[in-house]
Amino acid sequence: MTTNTRGSIGWALLLVGRLALAGIFLFAAYAKLKPQASMGWSMASAKTSLSMFAMQVDSYQLLPPQLVSPMAHFLPLFELFLGLWLLSGILFRYSALMTTLLLGAFFAMMVRTYRMGLEINCGCFGPGERLGVGTLLRDGSLLALAIAITVGAFAISRRKRAQVDAQVSSSTVSAPQHAE
Amino acid sequence: MNSLTLSGSRCVGRLSMPLLAFILGAAVLFVPAVRAQGTEAAAPTAKPKTATKPRAAAPDAAASATPVKTFGNKNAPITMEVFSDYQCPSCRTFFEQTLRPLLGPSPDGYVADGKVYLVHRDFPLPMHPYSFQAARWANAAAKIGRFQDVDAALFDNQGSWGADGNIEKFVAAALSPADFKRVQKLMTGCEGATSTAGVKPASLNSGSGAQAASGCALDAYISSDQELGKSVPVQATPTFVIFYKGQKYPASSGFVTYPILKQFFDSLLSQ
Repeated sequence: MTTNTRGSIGWALLLVGRLALAGIFLFAAYAKLKPQASMGWSMASAKTSLSMFAMQVDSYQLLPPQLVSPMAHFLPLFELFLGLWLLSGILFRYSALMTTLLLGAFFAMMVRTYRMGLEINCGCFGPGERLGVGTLLRDGSLLALAIAITVGAFAISRRKRAQVDAQVSSSTVSAPQHAE
Repeated sequence: MNSLTLSGSRCVGRLSMPLLAFILGAAVLFVPAVRAQGTEAAAPTAKPKTATKPRAAAPDAAASATPVKTFGNKNAPITMEVFSDYQCPSCRTFFEQTLRPLLGPSPDGYVADGKVYLVHRDFPLPMHPYSFQAARWANAAAKIGRFQDVDAALFDNQGSWGADGNIEKFVAAALSPADFKRVQKLMTGCEGATSTAGVKPASLNSGSGAQAASGCALDAYISSDQELGKSVPVQATPTFVIFYKGQKYPASSGFVTYPILKQFFDSLLSQ
């Protein structure tokens, strides 16, 4: 397998991983913001959905009550932003790194809660999903994917920079010869 | 191709779209939420039509046909059904720190204000040896309209009776001697499988079958609650389901602090 072929496969895997994570984050944000019961989309319905999400954040018993609501309002919007950022591909290695950090924080929080024996809803994709081995495996897999694409993104970036440096140095070496 | 590659600073311009969406979204949603929090106490929602005392429904002279395990005005805009296990530590915390203020006086007591109708549902878990028996005592008390006293006594003393199974002592302390006698009478045939071995949760059988198997008339009420819980589905306790104007909201599990629960109620009432 040539270096070029390997590079293309690596790039394609990164693309798939990036789009998958983007889709997952966009869906997670949608699930938290979508109207509950049979309400239509409105500011009031979003407020109710976020208040409902706040109850899930609160049940993790990690934050003081005064921080629960700001966090519950921030997280879905940040997930929306991260999903769009991943989708755009802009500054990919940084969006991948941010995704890894966020998923790492989620995973650590879930493991802590599971070890404490709290039987609560996960809150990962909206209400109604219990935190358990299944959700831990799923989020652990997502974290592994995020770590893989972050490492890949930095590796490709470094390789590209090395190629550019090599081109620049070869052109500066050859330039005086042309001048002669 | 270029748009998908890992580009550097020349892509910064393209960053503006998601960033703008994020900032606008945050401004629209986050700011009103913070403002609402700041004025929580000064933002009464719909004025309650009737203010009721947060007690279980009025005691009958004789035992009622079905145990009354509800608090507040049935016509309140919000109904909250709590599936609980008397021996579960999270249920105790939820009762002490969240349901007590909810059942307390105004302005925090939304039950007294007629905003919330609270319904207790029994969901004793097989892992707790005395919770089913505790639920029997609570149902017996509910049949004579003294549910609230026994409910509170059971949660308040969970650590004590949870250790030795002596529930009766705390029920007796919570009731007048006359009421306790009535409750004891209702508990006839229900004493059998208590203390050490615990009670086999009839729950997991069908309602009528459970009653027939145990010989305790109260088991049917517990089984009926459990059947209802299975349809939610209740996977852990406490689990609560909230209804607003006939609309059912997804069930939540675990302990939630009262300020956060109240904030959810306020968001519903402000619709």
